[in-house]
Amino acid sequence: MNDDTQSAVATPGEDWLDGLLHADVRDGRSSYIADQGFTARVMQALPVSLALPAWRKPAIVALWGVALAGAALALPGAALDVVRETYRLLGAHPVSLSGMAGAIVFAGALSWSAAAYALRASD
Amino acid sequence: MASSAVSDAQLIARALVGDDRRAFAELVRRHQSTVRACLRKLTAGNHALADDLAQETFVLAWRNLKSFRQEARFSTWLYRIATNCWLADARKRKEELLGDRDDAVADEDRADAFGGASAHGDHARGATLKLDLERAMAVLTEGERAAIVQCYHNDLTHEEAAYVLDCPVGTVKTHVLRGKQKLKLALAAWAPEESR
Repeated sequence: MNDDTQSAVATPGEDWLDGLLHADVRDGRSSYIADQGFTARVMQALPVSLALPAWRKPAIVALWGVALAGAALALPGAALDVVRETYRLLGAHPVSLSGMAGAIVFAGALSWSAAAYALRASD
Repeated sequence: MASSAVSDAQLIARALVGDDRRAFAELVRRHQSTVRACLRKLTAGNHALADDLAQETFVLAWRNLKSFRQEARFSTWLYRIATNCWLADARKRKEELLGDRDDAVADEDRADAFGGASAHGDHARGATLKLDLERAMAVLTEGERAAIVQCYHNDLTHEEAAYVLDCPVGTVKTHVLRGKQKLKLALAAWAPEESR
């Protein structure tokens, strides 16, 4: 034992059982257990790795980079078009306060329903 | 094969980052003897069972290598997995275990039985001691046996044993104390004359 009770050799003052245990440990340390195919058996029993091959990660990162760059180039024009059309529509048809409140309540209810459904589906 | 100059930490990093099975094989080769010896002690000398559990230990180590945070030595982490494997198996085989029999009468009977095998000369002393210790270890409860094996056979501190056994240090000390009391009864024939 790696403690104050430990001693490599059983001393006269030492507990006789400690002496016996240490003697057994000394015997055990001197007898190394030969591998005899143990490592090979362990390696055969290992599960097949589910990790991605080394080349897949940089390839995926590169593809995401290309997609994001494409989106960054295409979006400013499209986003501007959407904002411009929305403003035109809203300007052409003035919305009342009650209409806006109704739309907000409807959008909120839709969001909560979707969230509740998603949570139930993930259970 | 990796050279012995390569540390366990380097081999673990290789196994983790590059999915390097040869690095893990080297770790198995390095630690197989100590893990199998530890399990042979825990199983009270059942070598076949110990080797099965050792194999399970290394497979679990491979699966959970990412969770090894280097807060303990790799060998200590392996002892922890090995002990858990043994405990899980022991619970499954509960009815076959002698370890939970605690009554004093049974202890006295066993002390007598072990005594018969121990009165030999120096020539066979080592082998007889090993055999008697294995039989005596079977008398202990799982917790006592695990604590004795970790603290004596694996040469761990009480703190390290507490990490391996996943229990407080005080519990380890109690298990060691109780285990030694039972071993003294079971191995009474090995006691010097003056202490009998």
